[in-house]
Amino acid sequence: MSTALFHPALYASLALCALGLAWRMSAWFRVRVGPDACTVTPWQRMVAALRGVAVALFGRRLFRVLGALVLDALLLRRLYANAKLRWLGHQLILVGFTLLLLMHALAALVSEKLFQGYQPTLEPYLFLRNLFGVMVLVGVGLLWFGRRRERSGFAQARAFLGAAFVALLGFVLVSGFLLEAHKIASPRAFYRMTEQYAGTTDAEQLKPLRALWASEFGVAFADLQQPIAADLVERGRELQRDACASCHAKPASAFVSYPLARLLAPVTGLMDAAGADTWLWYLHVFACLLGLASLPFTRFFHVLAAPISLLVDAAAPQRALSAQPYAIEARASQRALALDACVRCGICDERCSVALLARYLGNPDLLPSHKLIATGALAKGRLLRSGEEEHALRAAEGAFLCTDCGRCTSRCPVGLDLEDLWQAGRGDLAVAGLAPPAQWVQARPALAWAESLEAVPRQHGLAAPDAAFAPLSADRRSFSRCVQCQTCTNVCPVVAHSTDAEHGIDLTPQKVMNLLRLGLSDLALGSRMVWDCASCYQCQESCPEGVRVADIIYELRALAVRRLGSVRSRRQAA
Amino acid sequence: MKYALFLGCKIPSQLPAYEASTRAVLGHLGVTLVDLRFDCCGYPARSYSRDAFVVAAARNLALAERAGLDLLTPCSCCFGSLRHAIRFLSEDAELRARVAQTLAAEGLTWSGSIGVEHLLPLLAREVGVAALAAAVRVPRSGLRVAAQYGCHALRPSDVSGIDNPIAPTMFETLIRVTGATPVDWPRRLDCCGDPLHEANAPLAGHMTRAKITDALESGAQALCSACPHCQLRFDAVQAGSTDPAIQTLLYTQLLGLALGLPAKSLGL
Ligand code: SF4
Ligand code: SF4
Ligand code: SF4
Ligand code: SF4
Repeated sequence: MSTALFHPALYASLALCALGLAWRMSAWFRVRVGPDACTVTPWQRMVAALRGVAVALFGRRLFRVLGALVLDALLLRRLYANAKLRWLGHQLILVGFTLLLLMHALAALVSEKLFQGYQPTLEPYLFLRNLFGVMVLVGVGLLWFGRRRERSGFAQARAFLGAAFVALLGFVLVSGFLLEAHKIASPRAFYRMTEQYAGTTDAEQLKPLRALWASEFGVAFADLQQPIAADLVERGRELQRDACASCHAKPASAFVSYPLARLLAPVTGLMDAAGADTWLWYLHVFACLLGLASLPFTRFFHVLAAPISLLVDAAAPQRALSAQPYAIEARASQRALALDACVRCGICDERCSVALLARYLGNPDLLPSHKLIATGALAKGRLLRSGEEEHALRAAEGAFLCTDCGRCTSRCPVGLDLEDLWQAGRGDLAVAGLAPPAQWVQARPALAWAESLEAVPRQHGLAAPDAAFAPLSADRRSFSRCVQCQTCTNVCPVVAHSTDAEHGIDLTPQKVMNLLRLGLSDLALGSRMVWDCASCYQCQESCPEGVRVADIIYELRALAVRRLGSVRSRRQAA
Repeated sequence: MKYALFLGCKIPSQLPAYEASTRAVLGHLGVTLVDLRFDCCGYPARSYSRDAFVVAAARNLALAERAGLDLLTPCSCCFGSLRHAIRFLSEDAELRARVAQTLAAEGLTWSGSIGVEHLLPLLAREVGVAALAAAVRVPRSGLRVAAQYGCHALRPSDVSGIDNPIAPTMFETLIRVTGATPVDWPRRLDCCGDPLHEANAPLAGHMTRAKITDALESGAQALCSACPHCQLRFDAVQAGSTDPAIQTLLYTQLLGLALGLPAKSLGL
């Protein structure tokens, strides 16, 4: 079997993997999330990180960090607390895969050094390889199942790459089982071994051995007469003991590959003729190498980033919103690291306070797992490219409807400080001109908005949804009673505190009501009074005519978000 | 006395002392609190869409309805939101139909059979001032306290009014029962400025500062809130300032101390 391509491919994948890792890890110091992150250089952040590592290794927190390594990074206790089934799946994959990697893939470096006389075809390695492989497959199944049970109603963010990588992992395992099964069943492999290790090609001499291997080792000889004589098998057993047993055990304990070999028996001859042992090996190994090379570029980069994030969190446990937040040099890196450490598990979404609103508004970016990706996309400038305007507006809505309830942070199995990330993201949005409505509306005078609205022909049908959307301001009866007595204005604390022109208001509640009476509600939509209203309900409480002033002001805001929002995106597009 | 406790978003994440002291005090007074899987009361969505606001609120109401429990909230803003949602649902049949459709996806319904109660009237009426007075072990005598109701607990009175909106006395009575002395302060019914923070931070700052100054000038030693937004707002404005400061105290903490509960259980 020729394996000439193996070494070039191995080195190429290793190089790609190393470059990818270096690139991705450098992002922890390059990517700037939050306006405050722009005040420090990557160099400062790197120095802060190195100092942090030194303090963690030689300081009092070493035991905390070691504890986090075992409990958080290896035993995944945070995942266990929130999703037992997925924890089981994840542990099966983690353990199965690691052991396969050490025992099987890196046999030359590990197993052969540790275990005297290691041969992949001996016990217990035959059995263990199958066991580990099945663990991984079952684990993948459990994760898939666990994910399906949790219904956020939205497709998981950037699902394709992740699914492709899982498919690749599955392919590695399946091709491995197939390769092993084929080698068990293959007469060609049998003859190659007898020639190599028993030093004979003589058919007569091999007859007993063939009989034994056909009946007990699963080799699918096409030219064997049935039934096999029992004494022939016994003679074969002696030969086996002398010539083969030191490196070949009965494969029956390979509880997946062996039955598979029996299944493949009818086509083994064909596969042998087609050189299946070579191409199956290539498929298996190249799939592994492809996985190795692409790992840094998929979300499974988290196998590295998540444990590191957990350790960093143990070493620097202050949260950004705590009384003594740590320095921005460290926080900036931790935010960038969080973008990579998120495993896209969606556990944060399950109890998000605004999950219902996400579904109702049809905006996945209200959900933390999606918001994290949008926050990263904004920090990397991807959200501001042309063609992304819609997404950017959705991300802004998500960012500003978040209630900062902190449930996502407390559930995240990777322990990410999401609140800090949300705050930083809102800062980035504001810098990018995607401030919350109260700010973008007030950035232009009410008159300018009204003029822009006039320039856009009022779409047909807009009046109808307004009635459902803002029934009080659509119904003249709700404000026609206003007698312009100014009581609302007199009791309004915002009016009272509006002393300086710069931060003061333009209209008063009474004037807003008057604009509605005059049919000029467009003039009110962008007014500072509408957006600076503190919703204290003094006006509504005191109005002698029972006008629901504050309720109407709320409606005007919702109308402004919609109507001025459409004018605004038009302006931005222009 | 059994209620579904609605904490809202601010208390668990930013004011855990309010949750701790509410549970401690109400537990001590024999009020049973049940925790349901509540979400956002809808308040932040109200400026975006009335429908979204009502949907969010209605889901919580429907959850309580399924459990057959009235809602109790120590947050004046959540209180106002949930009560407003009930009003909108009651007066708008089309809205009710739209909301019912969304709730049905989760197998929930809203029929309006359960109520929403604020912490202050629960203590003043349901538990009763007399029972409170009997339970006080360590009167807070000598402490002069300014009561901060929180706008949405009082206004609009036809939606959320727990007391007379122009001249409420409930909070003052509840302060008196702890042995402390309520002060009369001109700005006691003014807004704390919190809802304005995002839109106009300087103006919001003026409003908060004016209240603090007014409380101090009226001789108060502590500013006592029954809403997390007010409490957090006062603390935030005082944190970065060299102006004269006033102690901030949650009502459940004041009452808890008077009941003789350990300070630690009140988050103090
Ligand atoms: S903090 Fe925001 S994103 Fe996180 S769970 Fe609460 S509402 Fe959702
Ligand atoms: S932020 Fe945390 S909980 Fe949310 S998807 Fe990422 S890893 Fe999971
Ligand atoms: S108090 Fe009522 S009637 Fe008087 S101006 Fe204001 S809205 Fe009109
Ligand atoms: S609700 Fe708004 S408009 Fe009315 S009095 Fe209060 S701040 Fe002024």
